[in-house]
Amino acid sequence: MNLFRVMEISGSALLAERLRAEIVTANLANAETTRTEKGGPYQRMHVVFGARPSQSGSGPGSFGTMLASFADLHAEEVRVVNVVADQAAPIRRFEPGNPDADTQGYVAYPAINPAEEMVNLMGAARAYEINVSAVTSTKAMIQSAIGLLS
Amino acid sequence: MSWLSGPQMMFLERYLDLSTMRQTLVTTNLANIDTPGYHTRDIDFRGELNRALDAPLTTVSAPFTREVRGLTERPDGNNVSADRESMLLAETQLQFKAAAAILRAQFAQLSTAIREGQ
Repeated sequence: MNLFRVMEISGSALLAERLRAEIVTANLANAETTRTEKGGPYQRMHVVFGARPSQSGSGPGSFGTMLASFADLHAEEVRVVNVVADQAAPIRRFEPGNPDADTQGYVAYPAINPAEEMVNLMGAARAYEINVSAVTSTKAMIQSAIGLLS
Repeated sequence: MSWLSGPQMMFLERYLDLSTMRQTLVTTNLANIDTPGYHTRDIDFRGELNRALDAPLTTVSAPFTREVRGLTERPDGNNVSADRESMLLAETQLQFKAAAAILRAQFAQLSTAIREGQ
């Protein structure tokens, strides 16, 4: 196991959390969007995280891979497995003057709760921060290992 | 037995290895802080160090990782505690730094010997 791979694990989390923040921001931005390319109102999106064994960078069967396979049994990167649309029914508001209103005068708006999205965004930001501190810590360890050479 | 493969060096080497291993696990736990169903994993540092020191020098044995008990599980089945992992992150970093500093001092001694104490 080398420390650079440890940084890659943290890096995978940074990537995943940033994507989550992006999706949440898109949900917030489109909270009132009634027209989409697919037709109908915008649908709230969710990210699905999954743990995946971290991939070794070196080629198959090399000494490094063999050695790493002993130590990496439980080193798992996080990956965004899927981005799924929320199946909740849209919220119907009575706005007869709206060009998107149906025959009864109701407009379908996305079922998005801004408070819920903000909490989600804060969660993503906190998780991002904690992984940045993990990178900082690993960096300090690499520095002290390099210090052995000087 | 040569000075470089002496018990002190071996101890430091294993210590650094295990610190790295633990850092990997702590980092993995932190990376999966929002993964549904993920459970915190850790090693018994002291126990693994003793086991590594008892084993012959040439054998490479994988440390046993175990799921940590007694942590509060969230409704999504994840039980990673940010506080616990942050503490361990700091602790592991300091352990690694300390071992690296001692190792460096050992090499400095050797260097002094090579330079005939000058």
